[in-house]
Amino acid sequence: MRNLSLPQPRPKIRFVSPRFQGPAVLAFTIIIATGGAVFWKLVDSRFQGVFRSTAIRGHYAFDSAYDIVRDLLAWHLAGLFVGVFLAGSILVLLIVAVTRHSVGKAVDSLRASADGDLSTPTGTCLLGEFDRFGEKIDAARADTLASILKIRGEAAALAAGGISAEEFHLRWDELKQRIREIAP
Amino acid sequence: MNVPETAGNGPLIDRRYVLGLLLRLCINTAGGVGILAVILYLALSRPLPGDYAGVFHALRNLSPFLRPILAVSVLVYALLACGSTSALCVYILHKVVGPLYRMERILDEYRSGAITRTVSFRNGDQIQPLAQAFNQWIGALRHDRQRWLATLKDTERYCLQDEATRRSNMEGALRNLFEDMSRYH
Repeated sequence: MRNLSLPQPRPKIRFVSPRFQGPAVLAFTIIIATGGAVFWKLVDSRFQGVFRSTAIRGHYAFDSAYDIVRDLLAWHLAGLFVGVFLAGSILVLLIVAVTRHSVGKAVDSLRASADGDLSTPTGTCLLGEFDRFGEKIDAARADTLASILKIRGEAAALAAGGISAEEFHLRWDELKQRIREIAP
Repeated sequence: MNVPETAGNGPLIDRRYVLGLLLRLCINTAGGVGILAVILYLALSRPLPGDYAGVFHALRNLSPFLRPILAVSVLVYALLACGSTSALCVYILHKVVGPLYRMERILDEYRSGAITRTVSFRNGDQIQPLAQAFNQWIGALRHDRQRWLATLKDTERYCLQDEATRRSNMEGALRNLFEDMSRYH
């Protein structure tokens, strides 16, 4: 029995969805951690060699160890920045592309529903959150189609005749009630 | 099915939103790398001893300490960068996640039979065409529902006629209803 009572309070928009933002945060963390690990590995091996060779070479025209590795460090930091930023940008563009594709499919599906197509699957991306969202849309469409087909079947049965007047009027009123329950 | 960026509905995700996200990511990454540079500068900029032997030994002894210095620096960088990027991710992506969550709630309510309101998202939220498409669908359903009910009620107006004529009119209306519903598949 459908609930046609007072409207429920307007739902709030939640800011955090671990199912959607969680994998994105995890992917960014992996990029940063990988960048840091590569930076550490490269800088460590290069600095060890530079300090060793500088100590042996002599001619100490510098005030601190930083002066020795300034250029090398700058290049590696620039490499770290470019690497992490490029990988992060690719991830951002990937997230945007997947969102556009999946939500685009959902929008197409809803527009097709307005034209009467309630059975073609939404076919959103197979990524968890979007897949689940597509399934929810499909479930809502399937429920609507089931209601309409039920009403249509009942209308056909009533139109076929062979029913007593009393039963006919009873089922006629039930049919109207079912129609009222579509998209309340 | 093509990805909709049709006229009148606007894009699913605004280009400025994507550029803003990339800019913030750039600033965030630069900040993280800047902090790493400062940490390494502070660790390596201690003045070396003045004499030749002192500098030689200082440089030779620096190697064993270099690895932990770098490890701690990179760890601090990774923690700060991961923290700030995660916060950025949550802050920026909620403009997509919020509407999706809202739509999920509305779809659940629709399925439960509750009264469905017109969906609207916040200013600045992305995927606005989703709300428009949903409203369009519900609008079309309500329009059809009104027409079907009007067809049936229109037939009921002939209540003063004899039973056979009235029944015949009603059966005709039901056949029309049956035909009209055939567009749904």
